[in-house]
Parts: sequence; structure tokens; C-alpha cells
Amino acid sequence: MAWWKRSAPTPSALNDEPVPEARSLAGARPSHHQGPRRAAGPDDVFDDAFLARLELLQVIARRLFRGRQRAERKTRKVGSGLEFADHREYSPGDDIRNLDWNVLMRLGQSLIRLYEEDEDLPIRIAIDVSESMQTSGGGKLRYASQVAAALAYVGLANLDRVGLTCMSRKVHNSLPAVRGKGRIFRVFDFLRAAPRGGTTDLRAACSRLAAESVQPGLTVVLSDFYDMDGAFDGLNLLRFRKHEPVAIQILDPAEVHPERSALRGDVSLVDCEGGDPRDVTLSPATLRAYAEAHERFCGALASSCRARGIPYFRAEIDVPFDELVLRMFRLGGLLR
Amino acid sequence: MNLAGWTLAELLPLFAAGATAITALYLLRMRRRQLVVPFAALWRQVTRESDTRRLWRKLRRMLSWLLQLCLLALLCLALGDPRPSAWLRDPVTLAIVIDRSASMGGPAGDGTTGTADPANPGLTRLDLAVRRARAELSALGPVDRALVITAGPEVAVPGPLGRDSDPLLRSLEGLRPAAGEADLGRAIALARSALAGQPGGRILVLSDGALDPAGAAALAACTAPVPEDMSTGTGSQAVPKDSPADAGPQAVPEAMSPGTGPEAQPDRPPRCQLARVGGPVDNVAITAFAARRYPEDREHVEVLAEVHNLGDAAAEVVLEVRADGLSVGRRTLTLAPGERHTEVLRDLDAARTRLLAQLSPGPGSSAAALGPAGDDRAHAIVPPLRPFKVALITEGSDLFLEAALLTLQDHIQLTGMGPAAVPGNPALAEADLVVIDLGAEALPSPLPAQDLVIFDPLRRADGPSPFTSNGELTRPFLTEQALGHPLLDGVVLKDVNLARATRLAALPGDQVLIRSLGDPVALLRHEAGQDDGSSARTIVGFGFDPRQSDLPLRTAFPLLVANLVTYFEQARPGFVASVPVGAARPLAVAELGLAPEGLGAVEVAGPEPLADGTSPDLAADAPLPTARVPVDRGVFRLRAREPGIYRVTALDGPAAGATVLLAVNQASAPASDLHDRIDDLELPPEASAGDPPTPLPVGEGPLWTLLLLAAAALIALEWATYHRRVTV
Repeated sequence: MAWWKRSAPTPSALNDEPVPEARSLAGARPSHHQGPRRAAGPDDVFDDAFLARLELLQVIARRLFRGRQRAERKTRKVGSGLEFADHREYSPGDDIRNLDWNVLMRLGQSLIRLYEEDEDLPIRIAIDVSESMQTSGGGKLRYASQVAAALAYVGLANLDRVGLTCMSRKVHNSLPAVRGKGRIFRVFDFLRAAPRGGTTDLRAACSRLAAESVQPGLTVVLSDFYDMDGAFDGLNLLRFRKHEPVAIQILDPAEVHPERSALRGDVSLVDCEGGDPRDVTLSPATLRAYAEAHERFCGALASSCRARGIPYFRAEIDVPFDELVLRMFRLGGLLR
Repeated sequence: MNLAGWTLAELLPLFAAGATAITALYLLRMRRRQLVVPFAALWRQVTRESDTRRLWRKLRRMLSWLLQLCLLALLCLALGDPRPSAWLRDPVTLAIVIDRSASMGGPAGDGTTGTADPANPGLTRLDLAVRRARAELSALGPVDRALVITAGPEVAVPGPLGRDSDPLLRSLEGLRPAAGEADLGRAIALARSALAGQPGGRILVLSDGALDPAGAAALAACTAPVPEDMSTGTGSQAVPKDSPADAGPQAVPEAMSPGTGPEAQPDRPPRCQLARVGGPVDNVAITAFAARRYPEDREHVEVLAEVHNLGDAAAEVVLEVRADGLSVGRRTLTLAPGERHTEVLRDLDAARTRLLAQLSPGPGSSAAALGPAGDDRAHAIVPPLRPFKVALITEGSDLFLEAALLTLQDHIQLTGMGPAAVPGNPALAEADLVVIDLGAEALPSPLPAQDLVIFDPLRRADGPSPFTSNGELTRPFLTEQALGHPLLDGVVLKDVNLARATRLAALPGDQVLIRSLGDPVALLRHEAGQDDGSSARTIVGFGFDPRQSDLPLRTAFPLLVANLVTYFEQARPGFVASVPVGAARPLAVAELGLAPEGLGAVEVAGPEPLADGTSPDLAADAPLPTARVPVDRGVFRLRAREPGIYRVTALDGPAAGATVLLAVNQASAPASDLHDRIDDLELPPEASAGDPPTPLPVGEGPLWTLLLLAAAALIALEWATYHRRVTV
């Protein structure tokens, strides 16, 4: 048994909210207008073997970011690393141990040996905790939390600084960047206790996230991106703020393919994030049209991301979690 | 349409209340199910409606409302129990008599121009009759009953009396015109018998009017006005007291007897009406077809075919005679209206025994001018070749007679014998004709049972002469002879000298061949069969002795002898060229070539398939229909329904197993005459059946069940389209 299981809460204690009157598209229970709740912990699916495999992975950043502490990531800084980088003229005050005695003896010039500085990588994992992520019984949010936990563990295992942010229209809560594998329990506790709810507004959330970030770095956004106007704008804004955004779209197959469900007839559609209900008649043609429109929406998001060099991953929650992390992320260049 | 359940005054408020409730329900806004979705903006984009779709949604709602109103209307109508007026009238019993004579196979025509309908040239008068019968049956109500009778040469009841019209309609399928005339008299009598005691009896005769006299008389008698005393139940067809007739007078069915009085009383004879189905009257028929061997040359035959144009226009036809499938003669004939043309084909080889004459339209003529196909084909059988056996009983002094007979020996078998050899002579028993010329000697006693030619039978008074004498004539002159009689064909007896003659006494039925100043000296007598077993025979008696005259010296003598042989030869079996179709006709087996002695039954099989494989009723490989027919005194009754070649096989007696062929043809000008004879009958106006009745929309069963079924079907349709999202 994993040694961190002792702190995992029971599922019954996490689903004590009252049953709402309305149905959701995939049988989910809406949670808007309710206070923060606790969900099942993301550590429920981690075992020793999975963690051992995660430790072999490393988060890939396509750009070089400045770190704060020494670590295993190459940076642009020239400092006290092990790998030779360049020479410069000696100036008073330099550590005489870095003087290149060979050059001094041969050429008579006093040159100081410079080495590359290895620092840590700032990783910020932003999780969309809006109401749209909590439909289908909270499956999408649970899946996003698990992915976030896995990525955080990979980063912590590589001495990177990992911070987490829960956001919807605004930034609900943030876990300051932590470092070291031992901090993974803080990550778990943060994810388990993170507040959730609110409407989806990725532009506003990302703008706030970028403003609060002291140091740019790799920013992984886990969301369903159900924001007609700001889905890509938020990612693009992060890119302008020198972050390297990574988009992971968490989708519920029941919402992607509603025509496979048994829903038919005259219904009043209610957005889980609020808004006026809309009377529609669900026919097979309508459901097929929605599925096609949904596919076009996701395709447009993916193509926009690829056009601007933003890694995009589409994660459907019926895909096993470990397959996503161990295979799809590696194939997509997020991990190695 | 009447309402037998709730009245209209009761149904209207119910419908109004229901319609109000339905309309109110439709005016109320439907509370929809709430469905929470995570991405309503995308749903909004997808479900954005066009104007057309919005209009269709409104229209759909209107259609749904109208559908509910229709359902309500159906249910209200079901409560009303609607019934057609015909269901509420008094019951009717209808007997449909369909003329199935040969003329009904004629073209139906378009009814106006008297020519065949070019749009449907194959439509026959019988088809029109069947169509009318279907219309009549379709107009029957649930309490009416009907039966179908077909009148051909034989009367049949394909559809027995019943209330269910389906078997009656099925009985009309496959009806074909029969060969020959229709026996309308028996058919109407059968219809009267079936309708006796039935309420609302009505006989409907469907005919083209081409009737024979017997049929016309039967129809006239059937449609004659009913005497008044018949209406009181005193007529000959009054029904018993316990019959439904005691229910009293009943109203006449309006749809079945328009414009008539109280005729539907069950104690009255059924009304008889005629519905005429007409068409073009053009028809060309083969009215006679026969073949015979030449007496003097039995290896060759002569074929006679008579073609009669029974239409009102000239016709050009091609007559073709085929023998065993090979064409032996072909003539193109142009016949004026009413013209009868006789075509003789001579010197045909007798090796082929089956002859078929067939008419086809001439160049430029249409097949419609030939009329029904049944009379465009005729069959004939070449008589079998068997030597004609002649026994001559003579004392040997009349060499002229022997010489005259010997000249005919190429087709006769002559056996001479003296009077002493007569008793027990087997040649005499096998002879077809016995010639007795004994001069002064006595006739053999008893006389042979075969056909006889006796010269001077009363010369001696002690002989067993079949004739009686009225006295002697001395040196008579032969002053009169039966001109045109085949026995005297070409024989000139003028100035024949006779020494003496016997004045023969003519009995009723005898034909006097030769007279001397009014006294018969030669007689032809036909004797019928007797109860003692003697068969029919023919006797020719000459009251003079050729030896006592100069007749043997004249050319008339061998001609007379040849005529005698030919006459008996042609009268013997094998010269029955063809038999007309129709009801049972008596036929002598001897005429067909079968020995009548000991024959108790024959088997009649046929008609055989034609050479081209066609047969009216049979498949090519189907066995021939056979019938065992008893033979009484050498006569059996042949019932031939179809033209063709029949096989007659002796089943017992000395000739058991012997088979002869028999040709059966329609060959009847009255049966082929398509002219309408109804106008000559001067039938009363009420005898006309008028136009066909309007079929009932629903034949039987309560309509309210159908209405409920329709409502259920509407509900099912609405459910299927709504819940399967076809209309939403």
C-alpha cells in the first residue's frame, strides 16, 4: 500500500451535497450556487509502480527560463555549473579558482573560466475548476486533478519548482511554487481542498494568472476550454507574457457525442454556469449537429494552438489516466 | 349513411366538448424537462432556427392539434355506429345467371362504335358479364345472399347460395366461354328453384343476346310480367306457411330494384332481369367440316369445309386445312355479309387421318373480324379403311349383276353363294350388304339380318319377303323415279322394258324409288331395331327381275348397282364426319366402326391436345379426361363439352380394346351468330337491369370497429413519428 494513502478521504465524505432537481447532459449534478466542496483525491490512482515510472520522466520546456535555485535545468546564466561555457577578462574580485592557468601560462592573459548555470524550471499548473468541469459527476475535474498531480510529481522529482492554481473566471487559490518530491503531499492536499465553481472565462483567468506570476515559466492549463470567445485568447495572452503555455483539453465523451445518449424530445437547456434556459427539441439531427459543432470547436482550438506553437493535448476521460501521462504526453513532447 | 348508435344531436356536443378540451390543452404551455449542459453557447449556436424551421414548428403544432381533433372525430363517429343505407334495407337474394355460350367469347367492343376496343382488344363479352357480376356482388349488403349460375351447354353452379361474397367472387375467376349454345332454360329454372322461398328474390341474366330459340323463349318466359294473383300467394310458386314468406310484404330494396313496386315479397316468383353485354357482331365461322373416302378410290379422301360469314360486313379470311400437322390446302376467301362458302379439297392422301381446318384473318384484316376463336377451328377424322363386304345370293344366272359387282371389287369384297349355301354361311354373317337375286327360286328363310337389296322379292308367294304385294303388273313402264335420290343418281330408266313386275305395298316411312304409273315398283325401307335383338337395317326392294327386262343391257344398270353399293357404303360406320358439341347426344357405336354385339360400355377420352400442343383445358402432359359411358342397344350418349378429337374405346364384348377416333366441332351457325336477338323478344321495360349498381364502400362488418382501428392507426402513426423523432 502506498504510504500516502493514510490521508486519502473516502468518496462518501466528498459527495455529501444535496441532489439538484435538474439533470445534466451526462447525468452530472450541477454545483453552481454552492460553496466549495472537496473531491476525491488525485492520489487515489497513484501506486508505487506508477510513481516509479513518473520519476523517470521530465517535463520538457522548449524555451529556457530563469530559475531561482540550482537544479538540473540549463539556463542562459553563466555561473557555477560544471559545464564550461566561456572565458572573460579577469577583474578584481573574481574567484581566483576560476582563473584559467593554462591560458595565463601560455599566452600571458588573465582569463576567468565561465561555466553554465543549472537552475530549476518554474512550472505552473492551472486547473479550471469552473462548473463546466464538474458535470458528469465531476469526472473532468477529477481527471484534471490527477493529470495535474502527475505533472507536479514529475516536476518535483526533477527538482523543478511547481506551483498550482485553481481558477475559473478568477483565480480561486494558488499553491506557491514548491520544490522537492516531499512536497507532493502539499500538492495533493491543495488539489483536494481546492475551491471550485464559477463561470469559465479563460481570458480573464489567464490574465490574472500572468499578472500574479513573478517569474515566467512553463504553464500547463487544464480545462475543457468551454469558452466560446476566450478559449484561445487566454493561452495567447500567457504566451505574450513570456510563459510557455501548454493546453490540455479535458473532455467527457458523453458531452462530445450526445447523439449516443438516449436524450430526445422537447427540453429546456440550462447552462451549468448560469444563463437563460433555452427551449429546444432534441432530435437525432440536432444532436448530430451539436457533435459536429463541438468537433469543429475543438479542431479550431487545436489548430490555433498549433499555429502559435502551443502544445495541445486532447484528453477524454474514458482514456486511462496512465496511458495519457505515460504515452500521450511523451508522444506530444510534454514529457520525456 | 345512417347512424345506428348515438344520434348526431348527441355526438355534436360530445365532439364540441372534446375539441374544446383538446384545444385548451394545446393552448397551455408545455413544461419542458430541464437539461443541464456544460456548453450552452455551443448549443445555442446549433439550435439557432431558420424562419422556415420556425414556421414548420408552428405548423407541426397545428398538425398535431388537427390530428387530435381527427382522433376525436373518429371516436365520436364510432359511437354513432354508422351504417350504409344498403345495410338497413330488406334482404335480397340474387341469382346471377351468366351466359357462357360460344358467342360470349366474342369481342366486347367499346360499346359505341360496334367495333373491338382498340385499347383492350382481348376483352370478351364474357369478361363484361363477369365484370357486371362482380359489381352486383360488390353491391350486396351483409344480409343479402347470392349465387352464381353459368349457362353453357351444361348448367353449373360455381358459386352456391351464400352470404359471403368472397367465394362468389372467386367463382367468377377463370370462367371461359363454352362451345355451343347456352341452356338458358335449365339455368333459369335452376335459379328459380334456388330462389324459391327466399326473400327479395331476383334473377339477373347476363347475356349478349345471341340466343338460340329455346334460350330466347326461356328468357321471355322468365321476364314476362307476373300475374296479379301471384302476389297473393296463390300462384304455383307459393311457399309454405312456415316459410319466411309469412312475414308479410317487404319493402323492395331500393338499390336492387329501382322504380318497381312491391315485388320483393317472398311468395312471389323472383323478378327476372336481363343485363346485356354486347359488342361487335362480326364473326366468321367454320360451320361444317367433314372428310370422306372416295368410294371408288379409298386411298384418297375428299374434304369439305363450309365457312359462313355471320357478320354484317364483308370479311376476308384464310382457310387452311392441315392433315396431321401438314398443310394440305390453303384458300383466301372473301365473303360478303351472310355468305356461306363451301370449299372442297379433292384427292387428298388418306394416309393422314386427322384433319384440322383453321381460319385466320386475311391480308389487311384484323383478328376481331373472326369473332370468337372457338368456331374458327374444326376437326375431322378420315374414316377408317375397311373393305365393304357384299354377299351375293344368286342361283348363277344373272351374269350382268355379277359383272356389275365385280367391277366394283377394287373397294368391295364380293362373296357369291347359292341359296343352298346360305344357312350358317360365315361370309354371310360378316357381310355389310346382302344382294339377293334368285329369280324364280324362293328367298332364303330367314332372311339375313344385314342390309338387303332384293330383286323381285314377291315372285314366289311362299318366300319370307319383307314387302307385300298389291298385285302384278304386266309389261309395265317405269314412268316415275325419285330424282335426286342417291340411289338413282345418274340412272335413266326411261324406256326400260319389263316383262312383268310386282306392285309393292309402301308402308309409312318407305321411300318409293321407282313407280309405274303411280304404282311403286321399287322401295327403300329403314327398319328400326326390335326388342328381339334385331338391329336396324335398310332394305331396298325392286319388284322386278332383271332377267325379265332389258335393264342389264343399259348403262343404267351398272350405275344403279354402283349407287346401291355406294349408298350402303356411305351409310355404314366410319362416315360419321364430326359430332357437334353440346349436351348428351345419342351415337350408334356401329356408326363409329365398333361392333355393337356384346358391347356394354365404351370409354370416351378427350379432347386430345392439338398438334401444336394447345388444348383448351389441358396441359400438354396432362392425362386425357376419360369417362365410362354405358352402351344400350348399340347406342351411347356422348357428352362433348369441348371441340376436338376424342377417343372411343370399347371396354367389353368381342371388340374390347378397339379404339376409334371421333371429331367434335362446334359447327353451329346459330351458336356462332353474334347478333342480339333480345329486341325481337319485346321484353317489358322492367326486365332491363339497367346500369350496374354502385359497390358498397364496405361490404360487411360494423364500421365502428374500422373507425376504432383507424383511430388506433393514427395514434400509432403519431407515436411512431413523434417518439422516433421523425416529425420533431
